[in-house]
Amino acid sequence: MTRIADLSTFNTVHEDGLAKLLPPRPRIAVGMGTCGTGHGAEGVFHAFSAEIGNRGLGISLARTGCFGICAEEPLVNVWIPGKPLVILRKVQPHDAGAILDAITSGAVPFDLALCRIEEWDHITAHIKYGTGFEEIPLWSDVPFFKGQKKIVLRHCGLISPGDIEEYIAVGGYQALYKVLIDGNPVGVIEQIKGSKLRGRGGAGYQTGIKWEFLRAAQAEQKYLICNADEGDPGAYMNRNEIEGDPHSLLEGMIIGGYVTGATEGIIYIRAEYPLAVHRLQSAIQQARDYGLLGQNILGRGFDFHVSLVEGAGAFVCGEETALIRSLEGKAGRPAPRPPYPAEKGLYGKPTNINNVETWYNIAPIIIKGASWFTDTGSPRSSGTKVFSLVGKVNSTGLVEMPLGTPLKTFVYAIGGGAPNGKSVKAVQTGGPSGGCIPQEMLDTPVDYESLAALGSIMGSGGMVVMDEDNCMVDVARYFIEFTHSESCGKCVPCRVGLDKSLALLNRFTRGAATVQDLAMLDELSRMIRDTSLCGLGQTAPNPVLTTMRHFRHEFEDHIRAHRCRAGVCQDLALSPCENSCPLHMNIPRFLELYKEDKIEEAFLSVVLDNPLPASTGRVCQHPCENRCRRVGIDEAVNMREVHRYIADAIYASNRYPALIEQVRARMLPPTGKRVAVVGAGPTGLACAYYLALLGHETTVYDGNAEAGGMLRYVLPDYRLPKEVLRKELELIEAIGVKFVFNTQVGRDLSLNEIDAAYDAVFLSIGTWKEAWVYLPGTELRGVIPALPFLESVAKNEPVALGKTVAVIGGGNAAIDSARTALRLGSGVTIIYRRERKDMPAIPEETEAAEAEGAEMVFLAAPHRIIGNAAGGVQAVEVVRTTLGEFDSSGRRRPVPTGEVIRFECDTVILAVGETVDLDFVKASGLKIKEAGTIEVDRYTLETSRDKFYAGGDVISGASNVSNAMGYGKKAARKIDDRLMGAHRFGQLLPEFDYDKSPPSCPSGSGRHRVSELPALERVKTFAEAVAGLSPVEAMEEACRCLRCDARNGDN
Amino acid sequence: MSKAKIATCWLDGCSGCHMSLLDLDETLIQVARKADIVFGPLVDAQEFPEGVDVALVEGAVSSYDDQRLLQTIRRRSQVLVALGDCAVTGNVSSMRNGIPVKKLLERIYVQGAAEAQAVPSDGVPGLLKQAGPLHETVKVDLHIPGCPPKPDAIGFAVLELLEGRKPDMASKVKFG
Amino acid sequence: MAHQISIRIDGKLVKVSAGSSILDAALAAGKDIPALCHMKGLSAVGACRLCVVELAGVGRLLPACTTPAADGMSVTTVSQKLTKYRRMILEMLFAERNHVCSVCVSNNHCELQALAARLGVTNVRFAYSYPKLSADTSHPRFVLDHNRCILCTRCVRVCAELEGAHVWDVMSRGTGSRLVCDMNQPWGASKGCTSCGKCVQACPTGALAEKGWCVEEMAKQPARVSRLAVIRGGGQ
Repeated sequence: MTRIADLSTFNTVHEDGLAKLLPPRPRIAVGMGTCGTGHGAEGVFHAFSAEIGNRGLGISLARTGCFGICAEEPLVNVWIPGKPLVILRKVQPHDAGAILDAITSGAVPFDLALCRIEEWDHITAHIKYGTGFEEIPLWSDVPFFKGQKKIVLRHCGLISPGDIEEYIAVGGYQALYKVLIDGNPVGVIEQIKGSKLRGRGGAGYQTGIKWEFLRAAQAEQKYLICNADEGDPGAYMNRNEIEGDPHSLLEGMIIGGYVTGATEGIIYIRAEYPLAVHRLQSAIQQARDYGLLGQNILGRGFDFHVSLVEGAGAFVCGEETALIRSLEGKAGRPAPRPPYPAEKGLYGKPTNINNVETWYNIAPIIIKGASWFTDTGSPRSSGTKVFSLVGKVNSTGLVEMPLGTPLKTFVYAIGGGAPNGKSVKAVQTGGPSGGCIPQEMLDTPVDYESLAALGSIMGSGGMVVMDEDNCMVDVARYFIEFTHSESCGKCVPCRVGLDKSLALLNRFTRGAATVQDLAMLDELSRMIRDTSLCGLGQTAPNPVLTTMRHFRHEFEDHIRAHRCRAGVCQDLALSPCENSCPLHMNIPRFLELYKEDKIEEAFLSVVLDNPLPASTGRVCQHPCENRCRRVGIDEAVNMREVHRYIADAIYASNRYPALIEQVRARMLPPTGKRVAVVGAGPTGLACAYYLALLGHETTVYDGNAEAGGMLRYVLPDYRLPKEVLRKELELIEAIGVKFVFNTQVGRDLSLNEIDAAYDAVFLSIGTWKEAWVYLPGTELRGVIPALPFLESVAKNEPVALGKTVAVIGGGNAAIDSARTALRLGSGVTIIYRRERKDMPAIPEETEAAEAEGAEMVFLAAPHRIIGNAAGGVQAVEVVRTTLGEFDSSGRRRPVPTGEVIRFECDTVILAVGETVDLDFVKASGLKIKEAGTIEVDRYTLETSRDKFYAGGDVISGASNVSNAMGYGKKAARKIDDRLMGAHRFGQLLPEFDYDKSPPSCPSGSGRHRVSELPALERVKTFAEAVAGLSPVEAMEEACRCLRCDARNGDN
Repeated sequence: MSKAKIATCWLDGCSGCHMSLLDLDETLIQVARKADIVFGPLVDAQEFPEGVDVALVEGAVSSYDDQRLLQTIRRRSQVLVALGDCAVTGNVSSMRNGIPVKKLLERIYVQGAAEAQAVPSDGVPGLLKQAGPLHETVKVDLHIPGCPPKPDAIGFAVLELLEGRKPDMASKVKFG
Repeated sequence: MAHQISIRIDGKLVKVSAGSSILDAALAAGKDIPALCHMKGLSAVGACRLCVVELAGVGRLLPACTTPAADGMSVTTVSQKLTKYRRMILEMLFAERNHVCSVCVSNNHCELQALAARLGVTNVRFAYSYPKLSADTSHPRFVLDHNRCILCTRCVRVCAELEGAHVWDVMSRGTGSRLVCDMNQPWGASKGCTSCGKCVQACPTGALAEKGWCVEEMAKQPARVSRLAVIRGGGQ
């Protein structure tokens, strides 16, 4: 150990350090931050240590901090002289032998490699590791690191945090040396001011100006404080910074002390960060030993002492005045400012407090200059900021990005979007003091002003991503619960106000809130924000205010519909599957009834919840499965197929007529009210079914000759055989629903006529009009829209289909068209402009189409259709697209490349989406939304015209069968409420007798899949392609249910 | 001209507010010219009638019966007035709120009773977990605090309401 | 003596000595800004937030008790927003603990009640918390009833700053905050308490009271304590 007192001793230490960092033999460094050790890095380190010892290898072994990609821990750095530094991911102790084998033969195990680093810019130094291993991606090409700029984290995960010499080897303490030699403190402050460095704790006050205040203050004693009381839920930037590189913090503070005239530095750190505390303690000791801290630093006659104080974990102690009280040994309660700490701080002496990360920026600014720093970031927010990216993203970890980077870059490019293909709903920034920014606003650049404009803050750098499974009301409640429990209690608005906010939010999550509560919550939140004493109270309402601003509809859902769409608020949902089912089928009930061998009751339960159980059992998009908690064990329960099985079994048996009678027995007495339903599609059928059950005289009008809408006229037979639908319609007819076919309302029958004849009218005409793309050549013979094509096939009408068909689109209509065309004997190519994973079609359907021989072309946008001399189609030309920026849906926008590809074909099927027949809607005199759908009240489905209700695709745009039926069911309930002035819907259901306790030991059986006919066989006919579950399989599926509907106190 | 209908009601309170109501003295005559009292402890009516214009409710909501009656009152009354501190804040009636109902009843009817030591169960309404002010159960249109409220304040409020105005009570009463 | 500065309070120009708070300046202008934790002669803590005022050119509200008056300031002490917020603060205080005023020793002599009347509070819109709280009757002459404590900390400051005993303090945090005697001892067991009774006189509600009084009988004299504190030079 050398005490550094001049340049030559400094250089000696520098050389010694370099020899450790880049030794003449291989070096292994294990990432041993808290995140690494949490993933077992200790074991990995010991495995290497033992194996190196056993084999007597000449390999250096070191501990390092975290390189940031926490999702891939434990990380191990391997460096072989002359080669790049390779970072290995998810290394386990048993990998040590193989890794050492590879190293001894001059290589690394490529299967474990995450990335390679050829050279590294430590800002204060530049390290060249070497070249080679080109099979491994460069670190900057890994999506998680792409665009990151490591200024604060410049050393993290690369040097050994426990060794001051390695820090000095990468330029450490050079800035301090320079500052002391120059002897120009005012110049340094000017430099910091020039860099526009702003406090990284969240408030964003300019650091240089704060330093200037402290320098100007006259006192015999001044203090510098580093605020390392990091306490935001989901934030751990400071912890990793200290764990990975403690000396940068000390160097920043020593420089700060010199230029402001402070001689005492105190680091206030959370006691819950034992590793960071340990690293700092040893760093302080080392710095003292090397003459960089304490008396006569670097022999320049400057004294500065740093001590460590462990905070006991009160969140409010991150507030500077409370922190000072805590340091003084008093209770951590904030004090009013003024006086500001710069005048009267610790023990009444001038004091400056900066966040950990602020101190990390000091040395780079001094070495590289202010203008270098302002080159990075946005004009008012210069430099970078470290964020802890957590929550619903695929890659979590610490991310250092230039300020001003759009939020979507964090969420999608770096984080890789939400896991399991779910959609991102919001990003919460700034922890409990911050706010939620909705997905539509992810273009927002991350800087102090932009986030503040949305009601959030940058805060210390927490970034929590939320997806569709998060309830924003519950998110607000969570944060208020946090701040409520962390409020110091000194001032009334924060102490009592947060208590009352929490009480109000609890009313929402219980479904007991009223519209007045919403207004009160808003008023209360503003009051707490405006009148609280310190930052905690002033910012605590932000999560509530921002969620109320950007997600008001969720609050309204909780009030008006007693519904929590995300299924988080337990009191508002039976189970996740029921909550996500548009028909709100009581899924656990029919599973349990079937499990108890009561198939008739199970059928009754199913059919009273959903009049088309066999049809939906075949074609529903099954949102229930996306929420099934069984996923935590293996896979979702195959609920859809169980109700398909139950229905199929009953239809095939002779019990169906008797069960129809049982349904009829549930009918309420005739009310004498008459209701018209326009459209006999799934929406209209569901509505008519329930209206009839409720005792209303119900008539359904449809322009076609048979009922079923798209189920009958669009869905091909191989997906839904017509006889299945016919069987289900028997029940609807049996309960007295009247049908008037071949009658188009609006053309054959005016709305006024209907209005005069009925007490209520429900419009559910669906989206029968094919959207059109305007391409050169669409006028050619042989270019056909998907819906009319499918309709013609369903009606057994002749269709002029060529030998080679190009289908343009990626939705269900495109896949249905393709599979139908294959069955008609054509060759098919599906052309879609985005990637496969972006296709809106059901994935199983896409796979089936591919298996049946459809060619798939992705990332190709139609350019033009080329005709032949006869006016028919010759070919279609597409432009290759490449994926550009993320759009508002979280998918990358396809950007044309200019490369044109030609597909010879004689038919083009356009399946680019469906819309409402605007002519009818316009003529209806109803209010229409911009999207061309009918405007309704979300909760009552009432249109702008009295007595008229609307639901299904006509209000939502093209959707799917279960959503459509959900609207129909809801409309029936709302129409009944209005006609009868009472809530009667619940009377339709009988009491079912079934076990309501959760299974003590749910079946360990795996998920049962339906069996498909072999592709080459099924493609020859329109026979049903997918066979249902067997009775035994259906029973096992029922036994797999975990019974999320069970409640304490049931039985 | 048909007279307005006033109803009064006494939930969990001491009847002091009704005493104060009687203390309106000659103002009562003014009130009587404009309105009939159709329900309350002072009137022989079994069921709370429909179409009440002003309902004055004394006392906190303390039992399930109180809760049901108050909801009926709300449905059948144009204006619902919380009369007195128990109705406005819970007051003395709510002092039991920190004690679990079972413990409370046992303390009084078992430990505190010299004879017939048993918690009564027949013919008495069940107690709610906590007694509370009216507005925690139904929407209240006007609050007249006071223990009891001053007759002047009650008279002012009732006469104003009968005139179809919403009285500003701020200067007439003392809260708490 | 410090130099004089000019400040406008609700449009009225007043001169006060530098170092005065906005609250002092308002008093000089004859404006009585509502406050509960503030007591002249004791240090200002800015806890009750009733005295928040609007300051021209400043976006946020500032507590009058802890914000120094500055030359040229223009302060608004009454506005719709301020009254709304002040009422909410009072409602919160009533809802937080069990202030059953009708049976309180300080009924009709209570600063909390008086402010509620002054600001036109007629009911509390927040759900009452009904916490289970105790009363400390161990002191021979005085009683502490937590049900009525609003945590203004006047007692804490008068004991520490004027009497020099620092018997009182606040323990725990948030809604769990409680006034404690010494290290959470019964008041009667306190070695430090001089039984001077200043805390009782300073207390704005019935939380600290003398024994022997019945409902409505405990009239306190905070002004006398305050005068004494000012004479001793406190609150600067």
